[in-house]
Formats: sequence, structure tokens, C-alpha cells
Amino acid sequence: MSEDRKQSDPIMQWVTFCLGDEKYGINVMQVQEVLRITEIAPVPGAPSYVLGIINLRGNVVTVIDTRNRFGLPSKETDDASRVVIIETDKHIIGILVDSVAEVVEMRASEIETAPNVGNEESSKYIQGVTSRDNQLLILVDLNKFLSDDEKAELDMF
Amino acid sequence: MRQKNGDPRMNQAKPQKQIIHQDLALDAYLRTLLDEVPEADEEALAFVEEPPVVRTAPKPKAEPVKRIETAPVVIRQQSNLVQPENPAKLQALSVMPEWAQHEFQALFFKVDQLILATPLIDLSRTIKLERKPGKIPGQPSWFLGLLDDQDSRIGVLDTGQLIFGKSRGGQRNLEENPFRRILITQDKKWGLACDEILSIGKLKPEKVRWRTSRQKKPWLIGTVIDELTAIVDVTQLVPHRKKEYQ
Repeated sequence: MSEDRKQSDPIMQWVTFCLGDEKYGINVMQVQEVLRITEIAPVPGAPSYVLGIINLRGNVVTVIDTRNRFGLPSKETDDASRVVIIETDKHIIGILVDSVAEVVEMRASEIETAPNVGNEESSKYIQGVTSRDNQLLILVDLNKFLSDDEKAELDMF
Repeated sequence: MRQKNGDPRMNQAKPQKQIIHQDLALDAYLRTLLDEVPEADEEALAFVEEPPVVRTAPKPKAEPVKRIETAPVVIRQQSNLVQPENPAKLQALSVMPEWAQHEFQALFFKVDQLILATPLIDLSRTIKLERKPGKIPGQPSWFLGLLDDQDSRIGVLDTGQLIFGKSRGGQRNLEENPFRRILITQDKKWGLACDEILSIGKLKPEKVRWRTSRQKKPWLIGTVIDELTAIVDVTQLVPHRKKEYQ
């Protein structure tokens, strides 16, 4: 492979997870670890998208209800449920997903911009879409998953 | 003030050149006005705009003949006689697309219990909706998601919601009662989900009541007079994607 192509069309790795019938991908570089479900302590007065907090080796980490964030109906956790610990703009948060699937590689050129037929804010964290194994893979930009105000609010828990 | 209100006699004295196929348009328009729409069929009437009377024109007292005289003249006013107060209202039949100038093929399809038609020329193909489109978070409920089909990625739209509005169309439970077919637009970017594809038929322009104003419901271009079937202009029904996605 030529150096030119490496630079102009780099390969990226994505951790894929499932929510309902859809598969999503997040940049592997932002994933710190994947946990089985542990006890999530609710936080009084927290916004609806915050499930609660967990103790991760002495650190308090806020867990986001990803289904709520994506406008999906809530679902009981089960054996496949996972909390993915991610880093976004120096904030460490957990996102609850139905299951974690795999790590996939893809070129930047394979990613298509997702249509946005709603308002700009509603899906600003959708980085793009692509297809894997005849299924749509929705790529999430974790840096835009929460707004600056929301991140600041999480620090208060 | 009489001029501004569109005095038919005055305007008739100065014919205009702008309207293409004017005879056809006028004929269709006259027929439309002369045909009385039965009031019983509320569902069909829900898609029929009010008679195309100019806002500024003096209200005729249910005398169809006078309205017939007035309407074509209104189109002529656009250029140089009188500046209309609301020019967009006066687009009249000049907005008819090219395909509507001649006999055209239309595909009849069903959404819920409503039969609709759309010109075949605006469609590329129809497919069965056999798997659920991939839902993108944060999008309006009428955007059902993306579906890969052949070489295109199609944005699937809930035609019921687009046409009936969210209050009525949004009540459908898509899990229990999913759409079965998709009409794919000519550019292969959008798919209109529907329940059933009924038939393809030929329509003559004079058999259609063409709307003279499309400010409201711009996707509704006209109504087949005999069947009171709404004709959908899919190019106006689909959203316009952001530039980066085109």
C-alpha cells in the first residue's frame, strides 16, 4: 500500500455495540475498557439520560443510558449488557449498551455522512454510516455525544 | 384599487405571453371549476385545496362563470399589470411540471386506507420492505431509517406521517403493522413506505384538478377528478438532504 493512500485514506478501528436492532461503532482509541454490569447507584436529581454512578477501582464514573440518549425504549439489562468506559474530552464516562460485538477496521472512505433531516442538534453525534455484513453500522462521535454543559454537569456527581 | 383586485375585464384586454400550453391549462382549470366535488368524501377532500381564488380578488357570489374568468387573468397579472400582494399565490398552472402537460403514467398505491397516485416518471423502482431500515438516532419519527438496496442507500420515509401529519400518521404501530412496500425515487435516495401497490394507469391532464397554489402541502399537485385520488409530487414530499450527503 502506498504511503499516500495511508495518509489520505487511513484505516480506523471501531468498537461495535448493539442497541435494539441497530449496530453502532465508536472509535477504539476512546474506549478504555468494557465491563459487565455491576451495581449502578442512582443519582438523585440527575438528568434522565444518566443511569447513575459506579465505582471503578476507586474512581466514580457516571453511566449514561445510551438507549435514552438515542431515543430508544428502555430495556432491562441482561447477561449481554455491558458498560463501555470511554474517554471524551478528558471526561471518563460509561455508556450502557445491550451488547458489545467486535472491533472492525474500515477506511475513512468507507464512511458516508449520515442524512440529517431533523434539526442540527438532534443527531450531531452521528459521525457517519457504513455497511458491515449487510447491516448498517452507525458511527458515533463520542466527543459530541454530550454537550459541554452536560459534561460539566456530570463532574458534579 | 380595482386593478389591484383584478378586474377581469381590464385584464382580459391585455393578454400575456408567459403561460406555456395556456390552452391546456385553461381548459383543465375550467373543467376543474365546473366540476363539483362531492362533500361526502371527507377523506379525499382533506387533500383538496380550496378553490384557487386570489386573496385580493373580490369574492364572487358562487357564480362559477365569474371565477373562471378571473382566475387565468390572475396569472397574467404577475408580469407587468399589477404587482400582486402575494405573488406566490398567483403561480397557478404555470407550476405544472413538464410531465403534467401531457397524458402521463401514474402509479396508484395505498397508505393506510388512502389511495394515492404519483407520476411514474419520478420513481425508479419499487421493492418489498423485507427488513427494517437502520434507524438513525435523533431523527424525526417520519424518517424510518436507512436501507441498503443494490448500489444505493435509501432513506426510508413514513409516507403516512408525511401526508397525514404526525398526529394521525404517527399513531400507527409499525411493529405490529409495518409497511410492506417502498417506492424508490428517481434519484434512488429516498423510499416512500406504503402498504400496497395497486396499479399503473394513464392519466390525462384534463382529468386532473391541478392545484393552483402549493404553499400548503406542496407535495399535493392535484386530484384525479373521477376517483378523487390525490396525486403526490414525490419531489416535493421528500426532504432535501444536506449538501454533504448529496
